[in-house]
Formats: sequence, C-alpha cells, structure tokens
Amino acid sequence: MNYDSIMQVLGVCVVACPAALLAVFGVMSLIGRPLGERMMARFTQVSVVAGLLAALAILAMMLVLDTRHVPVEIGNWVVIPAQHFHFHLKFVFDRLSVPFAILSFVLCGTVGAFTSRYLHREPGYGRFFVFYAVFLLGMILSSLAGTIETLFLGWELVGLSSALLVAFFHDRPNPVRNGQRVWTVYRFADAAFLIAALTLHHLTGEGDFEGLMGRGPWPEGVASITGSRALFVGLLLLVAAAGKSALVPFSGWLPRAMEGPTPSSAVFYGSLSVHLGAFLLLRVSPVLEVSPLLSAAVVAIGLISALFGAVTARVQTDIKSALAFASLTQVGIIVAEIGCGLRYIALIHIIGHACLRTLQLLRAPTLLHDYGTLENAIGTQLSRAPTFWERVVPEQGRVWLYRFSMERGFLDAVLNEYIVRPFLALFRYSDRLERRWTDMLSGGQSRESDEVKPHTAALEEFV
Amino acid sequence: MQSTALEHPKGETQTDDSARREKLRQAIAHATHLLPSQGPITVFVHHNTLHAFEDRPFDAGVKAGGRRFGCHPYLPEEHYREQLAHGRIRVQDLEAVLLESLGEGADCLVGSFGTRYALRLAMLQFPLRSGPTAELRWVIAETDALRSFREEVEPSVREQLIDETRRWVRRDLRNGNPVREFADSDVLAEMLDRFDRRTIESWSPKTWEAFILNFLWKLCYNGVRLADQLAPAAQPVEHRSKRHRDLLLDATGEDADLAVDELLIRFCSAFLDQGFADWQLPDRDLGFYRAFLNSYSQPYCSPTRWYADIHGEVRRLTDSQIGPLESIDESLRLLGIGEDEQSEFILQSLLALRGWAGMIWQLETNAEWMPRPAPAGTLVEYLAVRLILDRVAAAQVARESMDFDGPLDQLRDTAAGEVADDQLNSVDQRAFVIFQLAQVRGWKPEHLLAFSPEQWTTLVHEVETFPSLERRRIYHHSYERKYRNDTLDAVITHSQRTRAASAESSVDGQSFRPLFQIVCCIDDREESFRRHLEEVEPACETLSVAGFFGVAMYFQGVTEAYFKPLCPVVIKPQHYVREQPLYSLMTSSQLQALTRRRIGHALRFAQLGSRTLVGGMLTGLLGAFAAFPLVARILFPRTTSRIRNFFGHIVTPRSSELHLQRTEPEPGPQEGHVGYTIDEMANVVEGTLRLMGLTKNFSPLVLFCGHGSSSVNNPHESAYNCGACSGSRGGPNARAFAQMANNSSVRRILAERGLPIPEDVFFASAYHNTCNDEITWYDVDRIPVTHRKLMEHARQSIDAARERNAHERCRRFESAPFHLTAEEALRHVEGRAEDLSQARPEYNHATNALCFVGRRAWSRGLFLDRRAFLASYDPAQDDERASILERLLQAAMPVCAGISLEYYHSTVDTEGYGCGSKLPHNITSLIGVMSGAASDLRPGLSAQMVEIHEPVRLLFVIETTPDLMRRIIDDNQGIAQLVNGNWVQLAVLDGATSQVHRYIDGQFVPYEPETTQLPLVTSSLDWYRGWRDHLGFASIQDNRP
Repeated sequence: MNYDSIMQVLGVCVVACPAALLAVFGVMSLIGRPLGERMMARFTQVSVVAGLLAALAILAMMLVLDTRHVPVEIGNWVVIPAQHFHFHLKFVFDRLSVPFAILSFVLCGTVGAFTSRYLHREPGYGRFFVFYAVFLLGMILSSLAGTIETLFLGWELVGLSSALLVAFFHDRPNPVRNGQRVWTVYRFADAAFLIAALTLHHLTGEGDFEGLMGRGPWPEGVASITGSRALFVGLLLLVAAAGKSALVPFSGWLPRAMEGPTPSSAVFYGSLSVHLGAFLLLRVSPVLEVSPLLSAAVVAIGLISALFGAVTARVQTDIKSALAFASLTQVGIIVAEIGCGLRYIALIHIIGHACLRTLQLLRAPTLLHDYGTLENAIGTQLSRAPTFWERVVPEQGRVWLYRFSMERGFLDAVLNEYIVRPFLALFRYSDRLERRWTDMLSGGQSRESDEVKPHTAALEEFV
Repeated sequence: MQSTALEHPKGETQTDDSARREKLRQAIAHATHLLPSQGPITVFVHHNTLHAFEDRPFDAGVKAGGRRFGCHPYLPEEHYREQLAHGRIRVQDLEAVLLESLGEGADCLVGSFGTRYALRLAMLQFPLRSGPTAELRWVIAETDALRSFREEVEPSVREQLIDETRRWVRRDLRNGNPVREFADSDVLAEMLDRFDRRTIESWSPKTWEAFILNFLWKLCYNGVRLADQLAPAAQPVEHRSKRHRDLLLDATGEDADLAVDELLIRFCSAFLDQGFADWQLPDRDLGFYRAFLNSYSQPYCSPTRWYADIHGEVRRLTDSQIGPLESIDESLRLLGIGEDEQSEFILQSLLALRGWAGMIWQLETNAEWMPRPAPAGTLVEYLAVRLILDRVAAAQVARESMDFDGPLDQLRDTAAGEVADDQLNSVDQRAFVIFQLAQVRGWKPEHLLAFSPEQWTTLVHEVETFPSLERRRIYHHSYERKYRNDTLDAVITHSQRTRAASAESSVDGQSFRPLFQIVCCIDDREESFRRHLEEVEPACETLSVAGFFGVAMYFQGVTEAYFKPLCPVVIKPQHYVREQPLYSLMTSSQLQALTRRRIGHALRFAQLGSRTLVGGMLTGLLGAFAAFPLVARILFPRTTSRIRNFFGHIVTPRSSELHLQRTEPEPGPQEGHVGYTIDEMANVVEGTLRLMGLTKNFSPLVLFCGHGSSSVNNPHESAYNCGACSGSRGGPNARAFAQMANNSSVRRILAERGLPIPEDVFFASAYHNTCNDEITWYDVDRIPVTHRKLMEHARQSIDAARERNAHERCRRFESAPFHLTAEEALRHVEGRAEDLSQARPEYNHATNALCFVGRRAWSRGLFLDRRAFLASYDPAQDDERASILERLLQAAMPVCAGISLEYYHSTVDTEGYGCGSKLPHNITSLIGVMSGAASDLRPGLSAQMVEIHEPVRLLFVIETTPDLMRRIIDDNQGIAQLVNGNWVQLAVLDGATSQVHRYIDGQFVPYEPETTQLPLVTSSLDWYRGWRDHLGFASIQDNRP
C-alpha cells in the first residue's frame, strides 16, 4: 500500500464518519427505535473522534510528504451525457479544507460533549442530535468539497439543520417564526448559489473548482474565466455568502437565530455556519482576483457589515444579541480581508474567531456570575467612563445613532416592507385569481378548507 | 390618529380632568398587585407566585389566578390519572376526598343513574376522553370506539350488558315495538337495519358488541340533543373589556402585539439596563416616556409605515406637550374604553408583557440598591407608551386585514362581528362523555331509551357540574392526602418507637451530653446531611434554626466590592460587618488586592474588546488559543476548576478575620461604626439559642454551619443559596455567631440573664456548599488546644457525612450511575458544580413537602428523603403563651410557604408561572432572563429546577397543643391567612403521646392513623439504594450508645 492509497482511505474516512453518524441516527429514528441518550452521545463521540483523527493524519502526511493537494473521488453519481452533466462527488484536501474540517470536528465535538449533558432529559434530545449529525455532515462536505455541486450539497445540509435548530423549541411561536425567517433568507442565498453553479457549468462545462480556478493548489490557482464572467458569477456567490454569513443587508436574522438551546447557538451562529459564507469566498478566491470590481464589492460589503455590527453591538442589552453582532463584526472583517486577497490571514482569523466565540457563547449564561467576580476583583461597580465615540459624536447624532442601532439598522423592517410584502401581495393576488377561476368552474365554493377555522386549544380546565 | 377625537369635549372642567387622572393612577396602582413581584435575578427570593390571591382560600385563589394569567391551577388531568395508575393516588383517597367535598350531596340520587357520589367517582376513576368536535368525530368514525368497549369496562359488566341487551332486543323484535312515550322509537329500528336484522340470529358476540355501542352512542347523542332543547341557550360571549388585539386576533388571526412587543422589549431592556450595553439609552434621565418620545421623533428613522405612524403620533404628542398620564387618558378615549371597564383594560394592557412591567415596578419601588433603579412613575410612563403603540398597531392590523379605516373606538364592535362564535361544548363532546360513562357504569340501552327529556337534562347537568377543573381539584386533594397520611402515620409510629427505645435505655435523654452539636439551617437540603451525620456519629446532636442565625447584617467579604444584606428580605439590617485579612497579612494582602484589580481590569478589557471592531480583530486572530480552555472546561470541568482555584488562591489572603466589634455608638459602614456592641451580641446569641431550645446540656463543641451553593452557567444561581440570607451564602453569619458566642463578655451577660454557657464550650463555624457538598471551616486557628482532638473527630465525621450526603443526592441524578461509591459520588457532585454544560447542578428545594417544628427527638432517624424543612423548637422551654413558637413561626411559616408555593406554581404550569426551559435562556440587562432572542422577562423557576418536584402544599407538623396553636393563629394575621386559607396544611403533634390533630376548617380534629406499619432499616443507604424516584418513610435503626 503506498502513501497515496492510505491518503485516499483516510480521506474517505473523514467524510464517512459523519455520514455514518447521520445514517445511524436517521435510520434508528425512522424505524421507530430511537437510541437512548447515552448511546447517542457515545456514537457522536466515536464518529467525531474518528473523523478528527483521520483528518489529523492526513494533515500530518501532507506536511511530511509535502503534498498540497489531495483529491479524493467517490465516483460520478449522475451522468446525463446529452446535457453534458455529471454529478461528481469529489473531495479535495488542501491548505484551506483541512484546517476548516479540523476546526469543524473540534468545535462540533466539544459542543457535542457539552450538549449531551446540557440536554439531558430534554424531550428533544434525539431530535437535536439528528440535526447535529446533519450539520456536521454538511460542514464536512462543504469544507472538503472539490466541486461546486458537492459544496452546494453540504451548504444545503447546513442550512436545513440550522433553520430546524433555531425552531428547536417548536411549542413556542417565536422560535418557529424566527426559524422560518432564517430559512427564508437561506433560500434566497441558495437560489443565488444555484444560479452561480449553473452558470459555472455553462461556462466551464463542469463543476470542478479546478476547472474554474486552474490546477494550482489553493490558494495559488489562477481563474480561467474572463473578468466580466467572473463578476457575474462572483456577485451571485457574494449574495449567497452574504445570506449565509448574515452580512448586510441580511444581518437581521443573526440575533433572531438565538432561539435554540445555547450550544446550538454557539456552534452555528457563533462559529461555524456563520463563517461558511466567508469560506465560500475563500474557496473561489482566485475568481475574485480576476475582477477588481468584484474584489471591491466584497471589501465594501465586508466593511459595511463590520461597521454595522460594531455599532449595533454597542447598544445590545442581552448577551446573546451582543455576541451575535460581535460575530458579525468579525465576519465582516474576514470578508474584507478576503476581498483584499489576504487569504491566510482570513483563514487564521476564521479559526481564531470561531474558537473564541464558541467559548463565549457557551459561557453566556454565566454572565452574572462573571460580572460579580469582576466587580469584586476591581472593587467597584463596573461603570464606564464615556467612550471615545460618546465624546466625539454630537448629542443629536448620538440619539440618532442609538435609535438606528437599537432598531438594528431597520434591515428587517425594510426587507419586510419592500421585499416580503410585495411578494406576498403578488401571491395573494394570484391566489385570489385562482380561487375565482375554480369557484367559477365548480359553480360555488371550491375550497372546503376555507370554512374550517384553526382550532385554538382552550385551557383544559375552563372547558 | 383622528384629530377631531383628540379635542376635549367642550365644557369639561379642570377638576374633572384631575379627578379622572387620579382614578387612572389608582387603577394602575391596583394593577401592580398582579404583576410578578420578582426583582432582579441576582437576588432571587422565593415567594408565592399568587401572593396577590392569598386573601382567598387556596382553591379559589389558584382558579382565579389561573383565569387571570391563563395558567393551570393544578397539574393536567392526565398527570393525575397516571399517578392513580401508579398508586400514588389510591382509590380510597379519591373516595375520602370526594365524600368530604360533596358533604350532604353525596347521596343525592341522579335520576336513575345512581348517587352523585358514584357517578363522580366513576368519572374520576376512568379517563373520560374528550377533544375538539372535529377530533371526536374522527375518533367515532375511524377508531374502534364504536366497535369494542373501552378496556376499563369490567368483563362481567360487559357480558351482562351484551346478554341482557340481546335478550331484550330479540323479545322486543318478536313482540313488535311497543310505543314508548318519549323516545323516538325509530332509533332501534334504524340500528337494526344498519346491522342487518335478518341475520340477527347468527350475530357474533363482536357484532353484538358493535351493535350495542352504536346504539348507546346514538341514544346518548339524541339524549343530549333533547336536553339541549330544554336548556336555555348559552350566553353569548362577552366581547367588552377585551383588548383590541385579542378581538383582532380572533377575527383575523393577525397578532397586533407582535410588532408592539418586539419594540417594547427592546426599549424596556435598554431602559432598565444595569450597565451591560456600551451605550446608555439617551435621555434615560428624563424618564421612560420622554426618552421614548425623543428617540422615536428622530428624523430619517421611519422607513416603513409602522415607524412612520409611530413617528407621526410621537411628534404630535411632543408638540402638544402631552404628559404620560394625559396620554393614557387620551389613548383610552381614542380606543373607546368606558369608565366602567377602565381598570380591567389597564390591567390587561399591563399584563400583556407582565414580566417587563413587573420588573419596571420592582426597579421603581424595591431596588434602590441596584446601580440604575427606575425613577418613580416609570410604570405609568410605560403604560402610556404601550397604549400609544397599541393604538398604532391595532389601526394597522385593522386596516390591512379587515379593511377597517374608521375610528378606533368602533373597532372592537366591528371586529367582534367577525369573530366566529365557537360553541364551547358541542353536542358531540357532551354526548361522548356520557357515552363513555354509560359503558363503565353499565347503563343499558333499554333504560336509556325510556328516558324523558327531563331525565336527560338532569344527567347532562350533573356531568357538566363536574367539569375537568373540578375533577382536577379532587385529584389534587387526593394526591396530597396520600402523602399527608403517609407522613402523619410515619411520624406517629416513629415517635412512638423512639420514645419506647429511650424509655428502655438506661441513659436518660436529658442528662446525656452529646459529643458535639451542630446547628444547620432549617433548609430541606440539610435534612439528609444531618441524618447522615447522626448515622456516622450517633453520639452527636443536630439542631436547626433559620440560616442567618439571628445575625442580620450587611456583610463585605475580603475579596468583595460591596456590602450585601445577609438576612431575610423582610428584615432591614442595622449592622455592618467586614471581613479583613489578618493584621500580619495586611501588606501582602494589599499587593494581592492590587493584583486582583489588575487581572480584573485586564479580563474586562479583553471581554469588552472582543466585541468591538479593532479589539475583536486582535482577539479573533489570537482566538485559537481559546480552544484550550474551551475543550478543557467542557471535557474536564473538575480538573480545570482545581487548576483555576490554585491560581485563585495566590491572589486571595490566606487567612482573614471578621471585624465584629464596634467602637463607635452608631452602627454604619464607615470605619469604627462597623460591627456590634457587646450588648447587641448578647441579644443575638441569646435570641437564637432560646429560639431553638439550646439553653442547657451544651456539648464541648458547638458547630454553626451556614449554607449556600455555587454553580456555573446558571443565571438562577442566587435562587440556590440560603433563603434566610436574601439569596446569598450564609457562611459569614455562622462565623459571626460563633465569634459572638465565644466572646467572654457576651457569656457573662448571658449568665446574668439565666443562660449560662459552661467554660469548656467552644463555638466553631463552617459553611456547607449544598451543590458540591464542600465544607469550609472558619477560624480554625482559634480553636483551643484542648478542643483540637474533638474538633478533628468532628471533622472526620462531617467529612464522612458529606460523602454520604452526596451519595444520597446522586440517587436523584440520572447521569450518576447507581454503582458509585460515596467517594465517587462526592467527586461527581464536585464536577457538577463546575460543569458549564450542567443544567442541574443541584435540585435546590425541589420535592419539598414538609416542615417539622419541634424537638429532633421524634424525627431523628426518620428517613424524610430531603423533603422536610426542620426547625428545632422545644415546647418544654416555652412559656404558657408559646411566644417562642410564635416568634419562630412568624418568620418560618411565610418563608417556607413561599418556597413551597413558588415550586407549586412553577411545577403545575412551567411555561405560565415558571420560566420554561433553561436551555434557551438569554440574560438581558443584567436583571433577568428571556427565552431565546427576545421574549417577555421570565420570572419563576425553570423546568430543570422543578422536574422532580411533587406539587403539594407544605404540611407543617408542629410540636405543640391545639390551644396554643390556635392562639398563635388568632393573633397573627399573616399566619392566619396562610393556615385558614389552606395555602399550607397544618397538624400539631403531642410529643408525649404522639397524638396528632389536623387543622381542618378552623378546627383541630384528631387524626386516626391508617397504619402503624413503618419499615425499619439499618441505614439510609439501605433504604434508598437503587431507587431514583420519590421514596417513602422508614425508621433508621438508632445506634446511640
């Protein structure tokens, strides 16, 4: 057995571990034999540790053998010769994907261990771990993806599990509402991604990143498309990344996502899934280089988001929103770094920020305890001298800025009013047309469901 | 809005205005009673959630509270039925409670259906399923509800029913249908047709069963319909006094509160913020109303219709200089609220976000110690803002969903017109209940067919007067009765046993000098600790008194920034006590303090910096190092905390002392004014010792042990601390008490007052952490050489006891396997306290159900499963008015009842009264928690805290006579309200005869024990091992010499 085949086996292992985890959890719940808490925690542990070890082994071999690009192919799954389409499952181990996969394993593993105790006796324990397995698989697929279809697959899994976990406490209306909101924004981003992927196919005939970005190992590839095409594809990908990473103007969903159990908020919106947009941009960074306009757009969106996050974080009064906007600030900076071509710095920044934010979010409920400790250490109340901004900005401006930040830049309100509302109005109008049509055809009321009022359960005792 | 409506009606005078506003003010003041009275979460004080309803009896109170807040008054019926199936409620309990509640009416005959008692018992014993009409129709059509009898129906009843009906139908058929007076005789014919009467001879038993059930169902259905025609039509639902939002929600399904709440939650948390956010709300000093007006009248801040409407309204109010109260008045007029419904409407508006409104009220009236209390009048201003927003939102929803553009005061009538009347109980629903009853009671179709409409009316009425709510009440009382009787039986039997044992033994209990004595808090969590200590060292004696030990003080620890009160909330301390490093360590301690401050500043800088632009970038780039503490703290919590503690010890002074003696006459926080005078100390010591009856027979070593709890990632940490110390840790109180009692001048005064403490008695002090079962000893260097050996022995016994205590606690934790040894159990609980991912560091007061007041003699060795508050009291040392007991109960009864009732309410409705699941909690403004990203503030206890709790009212068993107890009840308003209103249960015990009297409806009634059986086991471990659930009582063998 030569080194190459060892790498292949290890590479398959890295992907197979989370896939196996999802298969076990999913199948067991589907056949109506859900696993117990201990079993689920054990399976998670084994799968994460095995995946992590395999990834570390690959890293070690890559360092020792000085290879920088290890493709692992798992065959063509769909081939439509007439359309020149083939769905090619291919993973790439390089300087970008290996650190990101290791980061995912470490953070997911830690949060898995955390959650197995935190959610002890919670009725949704099994559900959480199924979503968790979906998420882990999604993260690994997207970080290792070698083709844009594979990346899209992982991207979708991450989005699905994120939205479902926001709505984890589905017996209260707010989490469900916010979960739907996250889902809607994700769909928007997904649509952009999908169009970009199709365009890419159209342009290069295949979905391989290699075809798009040349054969050089990341980050040294040179894109093989022209500037204007790169701008079009790149802008679409930028929209996708902005949706996923909650960049302006999609930032409104990030604090709303803090509805699930604390550990899910930590790993999803604090660290991993919020960086996925930045990761996508990193992956296609050679494309950015081709078009200065595109790079400028990326830098602009990044800086605007960072500024927006930094200002807004200052007025947040609850710990989770404050951390959400603090995350946004850093993600914005990371995106700007990518736009400037600082790829290694961006990667280091992602890893550092993800670790730090996870720790901070997991510790969020201990805020009062920490405040007490700090107050005792410092010996006085933690009051604050007026900050630089407060001294510089005139009174009227401060009031305005405060209001702007408190309303979170009106981003949600504006999206609701000028995107959602016309959209809904259009569909309601179509619905009315359809009803008129069907009523006419059936010669009367055509929809029985109109008459049934939703049943609002009255409290048992007052019946 | 409509500008014409704004102008005051002509001719209205100034006085009218001010009178009306005074009325408004009163209505708001009145409404505040119903707001949650929990203050900032850093000082969590347990109290009855339904305190405002305590002037009514318990059952009426919980129902009224439930109706007001939309919460459950008892557990769900389903839950009680499970308890019935598991024997936690016995049928005999149901029978007894039902008989008691029906009184004279029990034997009342209901038509020919048997007695009311039998009918109701059947309804309690067998689950009567119900549901929405659509669901019931589905059940009837799609399940075998009409094919086979319910499984609870006894086989004999079923056989008989089938047999007799078969005979009757065939006879009827053969004889032709006799014309019956009332029934529509077609029913039988129709049924027979449906089941193919030609083959009736060959019907199988299954067919007969289905036939009978179908027949019964049809009869019940028709019967209920008949009854309905006689009964008066149901009252139309009253739409007045409802908020516009409620009617709009019913009519359109759109919730106007969504937008209002989102905005208000944000604004309230900014206004109440105690220093979390970097930027303070501008113009906070001007008050809630002005700050709101200023903020929302900013230009270029209204990108949508909603904001533009608010902006317009706010501008108008600002320009015409309308104050908050005027604005409320105006809003009410615009909304069309009449004078008569005004206070109800105000109340409902305040309750819409009751957590925030309650917190505003608390910060306005009851939190002068917070960094930023709310100015007086904030609640009024909040209401003004709420009503402005309510108006804008209601108008918007009405416009968009109902095309309603008229004045708001007509909105409710319009919306009410669109609300679909849903009838509460449809014919199907009521018929289905009777159908089920017919099966379990074995009513024959033959008889039902012959019923007159009047008879049907009686039956329907009878069933309806015993609705779910009333059934749950009966269940609940039965649930309590089982545990109460078990307790009283155990107390009677156990006290007889111990009396017999001490009579046999040669040693007289009075003159026997214990090896050492330990005084704990009355807290239920100390029960097992004391029991184990008594098992480890049978020669010791344990006592208990409220855990501030009579030392009501403001205390500042050596590493702490402020004084904080260490005494029950009802007391305002006069004295200040400070902990300081030993004199010889002063210099090094200053250095340590400086280091602590520097580290503190650095941490703070890093913490805040990570949330800013530039600082965040730096910390982000270096953030990978956070992976180490992250992984370590989560995977190895106990080890990590040990390492942290090691470093923590470097910067805290090694030993310290209390600054306890005062030199200046006036007490105060300044130098020289800190502490107590000798006379005051003597008063404290005397009061506490007499309260628990420790006035003679001192052992050479008396230990005072305060308690508290430490946990991480737990916003409710304060709730786990000592309730008698305002939710703080009670160690310093024990330490101060011991120091006072050791003072020779104090002892001299005590001796003069007839309370001599022998020379050889030494008082020591310690602190018990109930979460990790750690004991911290104070002032060990001061222990005289003569006592060190004894002290060493006591320490060993206590170490063994805390290990065993940890082991007993672990039986409740599912994550602690049964095979743990005591030592491993201790490590397990130590790990829990430091584990960031642990949502249940300990179970706090969960399962509390009892409070024993009396000598330890009769409860010592009784396994109480950590469910009892224990207060030491010796009736022999009390005067003929029982004034010591009175003093004890004045403090203990409200506190214990408060804890018990808070647990009760948070358990029966964890979402409504409690704060829901802990998992999505989000700390806001440093004052409370929200669920998820934004919600109402959540007072109360979390699901994880109450999950093992049995909601029962606290049962007091007090060692005294009925007459003395009655005297105390008569003289004390507070106690009378709790006891007479049945918010607690009360029984008195005669220590000499073990006779128990229960307090029922103002009378002391002798209690007859059900059984004298009580298991006798060799140790607590023997009894609890291998069992997770609640455990019954047992006597533990007494190993005293």
